[in-house]
Amino acid sequence: MLEMFATPQFWVDVFKIIVIDLLLSGDNAVVIALACRNLPPHQRKKGIMYGVGGAIGLRIVLTFFAVTLLSLPYLKLIGAFLLLWIGIKLILPEEEHSADNIKADTRLIGAIKTIIVADFVMSLDNVLGVAAAAKGNVWLLVFGLVISIPMIAWSSQMVLKLIDRYPFIIYAGGALLGYVAGEMLVSEALFATVVEARHYLHWLIPVFCALLVLVVGRWLLLRKAVSIPVVDLVDEKVDAAPSNKS
Amino acid sequence: MKILIPVDGSANAQRAVDHVIKNIATLKERPQLLLLNVQWNVATGNVKLFINQKTIDDYYLEQGTAALQSARAALDVAALPYQYHISIGTPAEAIVQYANEQGADQIVMGRQGQGGLQALLLGSVVNKVLHLANCPVLLIK
Repeated sequence: MLEMFATPQFWVDVFKIIVIDLLLSGDNAVVIALACRNLPPHQRKKGIMYGVGGAIGLRIVLTFFAVTLLSLPYLKLIGAFLLLWIGIKLILPEEEHSADNIKADTRLIGAIKTIIVADFVMSLDNVLGVAAAAKGNVWLLVFGLVISIPMIAWSSQMVLKLIDRYPFIIYAGGALLGYVAGEMLVSEALFATVVEARHYLHWLIPVFCALLVLVVGRWLLLRKAVSIPVVDLVDEKVDAAPSNKS
Repeated sequence: MKILIPVDGSANAQRAVDHVIKNIATLKERPQLLLLNVQWNVATGNVKLFINQKTIDDYYLEQGTAALQSARAALDVAALPYQYHISIGTPAEAIVQYANEQGADQIVMGRQGQGGLQALLLGSVVNKVLHLANCPVLLIK
């Protein structure tokens, strides 16, 4: 397995996994940080550590599961279409979903439960993306996940800031997901004979899928064209005298 | 005259506050000072399914209050009245929106002083404000 690290293809694939993870896991990182805020201060660090650890474990199990599922016939086809949709959704502004009366849990076990359940629900998109990018290579998968998950846990704002500075990142991410979806499509056993006969399809289909995501995403975005509102949180006046500090 | 000073708790932002305090005597009429801190809207998408609004608001409030702290302390010491405000959104857009709402006559900002990689990656807020603002922007070097 060591010679694997020396090939450029390996590092290209690791890069793909990290990009997909960073772009699709911001929500999870925020939940980890916020779920631990209601804990007593001495338990916060513990909560974050257990939460991140649990999330890594869960993610690896889920991704293995996805890789196994994807080896079944037809499922790659479905997975590829799902990935195209995930890529398009990445380009669109996120819709807000909220649930009423969630109780803030002040116990360590409650916070960890919140993190794990949230990770289970919110990581399905990137599990599929990562499984597709790894193309069944287990070492690649684990290596990519182990690098990227701690990055996510400690840098959720970094990704936001980068996207604000360079908005094209989000398009590049969408195109990457489209490309990976295309790779998955050409590796579907169903099309093996067609693809083998016309070798150029190996790059043509992924490139076409990447462009498809960009065009459809851009088109839907123009139709929506809503800007994210700015919310006011605090507005206070302070008089000259320092003693009036609120 | 209304002067808006967006701050993020950094030394550069503090220089903008210090500049205003130092030069306030040169103005004929004492200006109204507005302090603003913008918190990134991190709770997007599905986050609110798992975390309640109060926890999220508490987080913004704690971060925002901490970012405003040094600017407020300096103004308190100088015995100047001011207003402070915390918004949630994208910094540049939120700064310009607040300036418009308040009818600010000037925005005074610190130049973002990170060098090298950080300047390449970040340092966008000032540029964006320069493009979007409808009033003069004073950059403090």
